[in-house]
Amino acid sequence: MNDPIDPAEGVALESRMKEVQEAFAHQKEFFRSVVDLLPVGVFCKDAEDGFRFIIWNRKNAEITGTSEQQAIGKTDYDLFPEEVASKYRADDEQVMAQNTELEIPSEDFVSEEMNRSVFHTRKAAIPGPDGKPRYLLGISEDITARHLAEKRLEEANEQLKETQLQLIQMEKLESVGRLAAGVAHEVKNPLALILMGVEYLTGGIDPDDENLPGVIDEIRRAVHRADKIVRGLVDFSSDRELNLQRVSANAELEHTLLMVRHELTKASITVEKDFDENLPDVQVDRTKFEQVLVNLLINAIHAMESVSPRPVLRLRTRQGAAGDPLSDGGSRMGPALRKGTPLVMTEISDNGVGIPEDALNKAFDPFYTTKPTGLGTGLGLTVVQKIIELHEGQIEIRRNQRGGTTVTILLKQACP
Amino acid sequence: MSANHGSAILLVDDEAGFTKLLKMNLERAGNYRVEVLNDPTQTIAVAKAFRPDVIILDMVMPGMNGTVVSTKLLEDPDLREIPVIFLTASMEEGEACAEAASVGIRTVVTKPVELPVLLEVIESALQM
Repeated sequence: MNDPIDPAEGVALESRMKEVQEAFAHQKEFFRSVVDLLPVGVFCKDAEDGFRFIIWNRKNAEITGTSEQQAIGKTDYDLFPEEVASKYRADDEQVMAQNTELEIPSEDFVSEEMNRSVFHTRKAAIPGPDGKPRYLLGISEDITARHLAEKRLEEANEQLKETQLQLIQMEKLESVGRLAAGVAHEVKNPLALILMGVEYLTGGIDPDDENLPGVIDEIRRAVHRADKIVRGLVDFSSDRELNLQRVSANAELEHTLLMVRHELTKASITVEKDFDENLPDVQVDRTKFEQVLVNLLINAIHAMESVSPRPVLRLRTRQGAAGDPLSDGGSRMGPALRKGTPLVMTEISDNGVGIPEDALNKAFDPFYTTKPTGLGTGLGLTVVQKIIELHEGQIEIRRNQRGGTTVTILLKQACP
Repeated sequence: MSANHGSAILLVDDEAGFTKLLKMNLERAGNYRVEVLNDPTQTIAVAKAFRPDVIILDMVMPGMNGTVVSTKLLEDPDLREIPVIFLTASMEEGEACAEAASVGIRTVVTKPVELPVLLEVIESALQM
């Protein structure tokens, strides 16, 4: 039997209990204030009571447009469209079953007022008195502003890329203008031949004429030659997005030489080719790569015009790996690229006027030019560098032992 | 044009197909004796041996440009009197004429050229 309670003790106990209750109520209010003041949405559901909400903070009310009074004691199915509620429930059940944390980096939410927001939500299981997972705690951060900023940044990047491609195209059209006279010359020669063939045939066709097959063959060859050069220029000037394909740097150099043949002949420039016969392909946008080569070849021709007593253009291709030494000593292949990356090197060297040492690091700067007014936009090498960067390659410019300039392009080898 | 039938023409142009057809046309149309040279650096030696009445010279050739060949011809007492006709495929005719004039050549024919036009120019040159 229990001892009877002393009335004085009973009063003291009652007072103590009241104190504890008050302290508990204060703790609860304190905890609620803290949770309400958090800048993130906080909610808690009781898994043993059909995932009914037991906590719904102020930020959560703001986000969803549903007040705490409306939410407490309700389930997701009472508050949200069925499709959304089912998704939340599936996530909740997964968290509770695995007693784990779930991270949802980006989740769209449309409020009753049709305001669209984006949330970063984290859900976790909290144990009940028996130590087993019972409560589902959710924390949702409103990342709508960040999401919008990222989207805008993405759009700005796209626009920048588009602008760069436009700049590349503008600079290319400049090159087309510079090439036009030379290309016309290359076309007029086969035209002159065709006209001579026509003149010959106009004199009457004698089936026994032994010259006849030769004349017709010459005409046919001239048509193909003119077609090749015109097609080359049209291909070169076409405006396309970055369209990567496997090409041989050797073949591209040969093709580009055809476009500047007139300029080379006019300036009496000898071309020395030192090509690696087993050169692996590169994965490039062919017309943009040709744009790079045309630009560098025209620069080399301008540098040699009426300067060198014996102008010699040297073209070299090699294969190697980033980090390998270059043939002229000192520097290494693609120091900025990951060591060992298989590379194709294309090198264009002239023995022209050369670039002064102090101007070398400015060579790729926009609007920097050493050419007389009207001969260059000052954007040529800037665009060349931009194109090589778009291909994740590297370009270097240096003075060579012949007093001229050497430009080295390094591009990654295409996958075998 | 019959007055000059049998005249000797030296044709210097690196375009082998073109010179082959032009030679055939000239031989048939004007009964000329035509010598073709695709390597301009040999012009002086060949001209001395062949003794042409007129030289048709392309302006832009690898190895040696028409203007350089022309200057060498003018410097040679045996060859300086031979009339020279410049041929050019250049689009910039004004520039080509000025370049020709700088070495004393006033006859410039632009490619592609109709055979009758070229024959007239040759005949005029032969009568100079």
